Amino acid sequence: MNFKTFAAFVGPSVFMMLLFIAFPLASVLKQSFYVTQPIYDTVEVETCSPGFPDQICVTEQKSVPQLDEDGKIVEITTFVGLQSYRNVLELERAWNAVKTDGLMALQSIDFWKALRFTLTFTLITLPLVLGFGLGIALMINNASLAIKGPVIFISLLPFIITPVIGALSINWLFRGDGILTALIEWYLQRDVSMFAQAWTIEVLIMLYRVWHVAPFAAIVFYAGLQTVNSDALESAVIDGASRWQRMKYVVIPHLTPLIIFISMIHLMDAYRVFEEIVGFSSQGYVISLQWLTYDFLVPDQAGNRSISRASASAMLTMIGIAALLVPLLRRTWQDHKGDH
Amino acid sequence: MSSRALRQPLGLKLTSASFLALWCIVAAFPIFWITVMSFKSPVDAFSSNALNVVFGPHTRDTGHGISILDILLGIAVIWITARIMTKTLPGMIASYAPGGQKWAGWVIGVLVVAIGFLVTFFAILPAILDVLNPWFGPLGRDIIGLTTEHYKTVWVDRGFSNNFKNSMIVTTGVVTISLTVGTLAGYGLARSGSGLAFAILIIALVFRALPHSVLVAGYLPVFISSSEWLAPILGENAPTLYGKPFAVIAVLVAINQPFTIWMLRSFFQSIPAELDEAARVDGCNHFQAFRRVIMPVMWPGVITTGLFSFLLGYNDFLVTSLLLDAQNQTMVPAIAGMFSRETTTTDQVVAVAAAVSITAPLFFLVMVFQRQIVSGLTAGAVKG
Amino acid sequence: MFKKLALAGALSVMATGAWAECAYENTTPLKSLSAGFEAWKAVTDAMAECGNFQASLDQDFREKQPEAFAAKPALYQIGGVANSTMVPLLNAGTIRPLDDLVAKYGQHLKPNQLIKVDGKTYAIAMMVNLQHLMYREDILNDLGIAVPTTYAEMLDAAAKIKEAGVVEYPIGATFKTGWNLGEEFINNYLGEGGAFFAEGNMPNINNEKGVAALEVMKALTEFMDPEYLVSDSTYVQQQFQQGKIAMANLWASRAAAMNDEAESQVVGKVVMAAAPMGSERPASSLWWDGVVFATNMTDEEAEAAFQVAMEGMDTEMVKANNDAAVWLIDGFNAGPLAKGAYETAQKGTAPYPGSGPMGIMHTVLGNGISDYLNGAKDAATTLADIEAAYITAAKESGLVQ
Repeated sequence: MNFKTFAAFVGPSVFMMLLFIAFPLASVLKQSFYVTQPIYDTVEVETCSPGFPDQICVTEQKSVPQLDEDGKIVEITTFVGLQSYRNVLELERAWNAVKTDGLMALQSIDFWKALRFTLTFTLITLPLVLGFGLGIALMINNASLAIKGPVIFISLLPFIITPVIGALSINWLFRGDGILTALIEWYLQRDVSMFAQAWTIEVLIMLYRVWHVAPFAAIVFYAGLQTVNSDALESAVIDGASRWQRMKYVVIPHLTPLIIFISMIHLMDAYRVFEEIVGFSSQGYVISLQWLTYDFLVPDQAGNRSISRASASAMLTMIGIAALLVPLLRRTWQDHKGDH
Repeated sequence: MSSRALRQPLGLKLTSASFLALWCIVAAFPIFWITVMSFKSPVDAFSSNALNVVFGPHTRDTGHGISILDILLGIAVIWITARIMTKTLPGMIASYAPGGQKWAGWVIGVLVVAIGFLVTFFAILPAILDVLNPWFGPLGRDIIGLTTEHYKTVWVDRGFSNNFKNSMIVTTGVVTISLTVGTLAGYGLARSGSGLAFAILIIALVFRALPHSVLVAGYLPVFISSSEWLAPILGENAPTLYGKPFAVIAVLVAINQPFTIWMLRSFFQSIPAELDEAARVDGCNHFQAFRRVIMPVMWPGVITTGLFSFLLGYNDFLVTSLLLDAQNQTMVPAIAGMFSRETTTTDQVVAVAAAVSITAPLFFLVMVFQRQIVSGLTAGAVKG
Repeated sequence: MFKKLALAGALSVMATGAWAECAYENTTPLKSLSAGFEAWKAVTDAMAECGNFQASLDQDFREKQPEAFAAKPALYQIGGVANSTMVPLLNAGTIRPLDDLVAKYGQHLKPNQLIKVDGKTYAIAMMVNLQHLMYREDILNDLGIAVPTTYAEMLDAAAKIKEAGVVEYPIGATFKTGWNLGEEFINNYLGEGGAFFAEGNMPNINNEKGVAALEVMKALTEFMDPEYLVSDSTYVQQQFQQGKIAMANLWASRAAAMNDEAESQVVGKVVMAAAPMGSERPASSLWWDGVVFATNMTDEEAEAAFQVAMEGMDTEMVKANNDAAVWLIDGFNAGPLAKGAYETAQKGTAPYPGSGPMGIMHTVLGNGISDYLNGAKDAATTLADIEAAYITAAKESGLVQ
């Protein structure tokens, strides 16, 4: 295929990605090295607002941004180098905390707290998703033909359900005296509050994610199992291989590309964990890196937002994902070189 | 796996089956539970006693309930619908729809069945049962409290159908454009072994890793002021992109491109290159080869990928909530809005009913396409 | 042609239902963007009766409003704001002074409704809201407890209720991490008479008053459902309705729900009183909600928008939705439900001090206090960390040099 034809095929897709992803990405990268702020004047302002029975008027010093002739706020942009990254990482504070109180003290600094949870979350859910996915796939494969259809259908439900709705329904099931909390209370014969300490919330968040994603892994693995070479399996049986050995030497190697595929997708998605934090309103106990980015980004009620720190935090998140993906990408690269 | 050597011992089969049953319960329970909640009065729905939620004594006392007869007939209708969906419909489409227009057959078929089901279940069935129930004595007496008033509130009073329509516009747009653009790119990438192709794939992967909230917040000011900065190019008719479904569709397609092209590329790689090479020997150029040789065999992979695009468009919250305004809001942000502002328990149950309503179309979709998903994946839509 | 047809169709649809109670027919297309709570729904529904009006009740209104009002022309003519959300619009000059319009169409407005900045009216307030004490009269009477007027008395009462075993968790509070938790601290700190800022917008909360405010909050949590860090107003309201709590410092707008027969098991048993006193003022802050009008629209549009807004905020609307809020509009019948709000305000509650720096302060407080409540940090460290977080954010936005 010559370059022109290739460009014609790939062009629209690349154009859209450039316009809507690469271009914003470049501006995010730039923003992380700059700070844009209005110039404030301090003026004395009298503000009157409702009271009982009469208005309350307060005279205060207020910071008011300067406006230009068009009535737009005058903003100046300054290059600050890595300052925003420093503000996010708070390296000095982190180092002092570690020196005096040990590693656990990092928990008191947002970025490190978020990183700790994000990494734990990603690395614990990954094997669970792969394990459950494979397990469910094998069980479906074992099931008799008549029930396969319905079972696949039910298995897919957690995956297709709208994430916002899924998180909310888990919320209802566990929050306060939710039905499942009541069940646990009945089983343990004591009062249980699932949202009153960090570890239960963390467990809930992880279980929710595994519940949500394992079906995807399962269906991909199940599809993979359909193409396992049955001759290879049978000859393994003749050679006296046990069930476990057949699994290990025939089935798993066959599924390896799929395992890598699922792992890549899952690492990327899990490292960006965000909906669960909001859905479970867990930020009092547990926060994640993307939640931190989001928190910098949403304007507060007076309209301030920390764009530079949000950009820096987003870039750090991307670097984190890239680092996690390197081993898997290297394999893909080797496959690519092997193919051609 | 018909071979004797691979037959499994009974114990293993039983364990496997019981674990599978357990998984099915875990998978379906939360959805089943919110569905049950949505049919109860607020007091029952948020009761901490599971039996109250299921049987709804409070709901029954207010005069809303169903009898054993209702349940039996209801189940019968659902079962028949499922049967038609999975067995009769594919057969009819296979025999009636002309080869190239299978998809149209599916769209029409599914629509007819869905509408038929809704009419039967919510209009004809209650009418029949009103007449029958008094005749059947204890079988016809209300045993479970159940009310559909929350659904009426959602769809009739709150104008949720408008949100539904908007969701359909956005989702249809995302699926069509995403697949058109993605199929071309996927094919191009699969057939080109160049370093550039691989670089594009890797960069796409990096793009996929970007936190969406950052991207989306960057769009907002640009979209809102678009009529100002587009004016030099488009003149007076320059549109404000904010609040326009097509702008949201473009964003969602772009965000989903990395995943789409990866999936379609590996699917096209599993189609032997000899096929289109043969066509090109016959004098076709790449595009003709693509249209005549590849398009007829690509549907399993495209349907599977399309389903993922559908889920993305249908379930998206971040992009749609920020870039659309109230007049063309889709269902997910509408529901999130309901939850964030509703202050009474009644309203919360209404919101639960809305949540169940938006899950229902997904239900139908998976019921219909489940076989295609598996065959698409099997045929190699995912090769890593 | 097609456009004409569509327009005719749209008009005929409106003609059937619209203008039901509006005094005139609005012909200028208008849009509004506001928060989505019940009072806004009532007001915008009443505006819609005049025709040609579309309301967006949006949970992201905070994020969209500054951008949408800065566009030329503004995407929305009418905005719904509160003390704090008016700040970015005012700073950017995207909302217009209303004195001419008030003189022309707003003679009936009470002086109390006019939000003035340096003598110019920039917004028309429609309601106030504040947190005040709600308590179960039956429980307090049974145990012979007087109505608490300070947090110390409230804690005593809670201890007695718990001891008597009436309810397991006597106190409810909106301690959900984020905005709610920040607001609780602000109320208590204002009650202690504290000032949030020193010269040059520097933070000023790491002092005895700040520590006192935090300690009160921690003492309250002893008597609360341990899941307090996820409990928002709706959750506290439900706890009340289900008879699980006996006292809470809750929003005035939630009072009506206590007597909602369809949901509440405590109808007529919950009574409203003033918010507990801090050392100087009630532990509460006074909020208002009202409408603003975009600068970037024609004067004709502004007149039309103002008239429609006045129709939405009229006496009829208040009469139809009396219990939805503590209205400032003529015709509001202040029943027993509004008693708590009035008493709290009359004891000298400060207005919520909305400003640019306060926006940042509220956010960092909301994020930082949970560390103290769940025991990860002591009070002084918590406040010091919050101040440090404030300074970082304020430097980035240019408010602190």
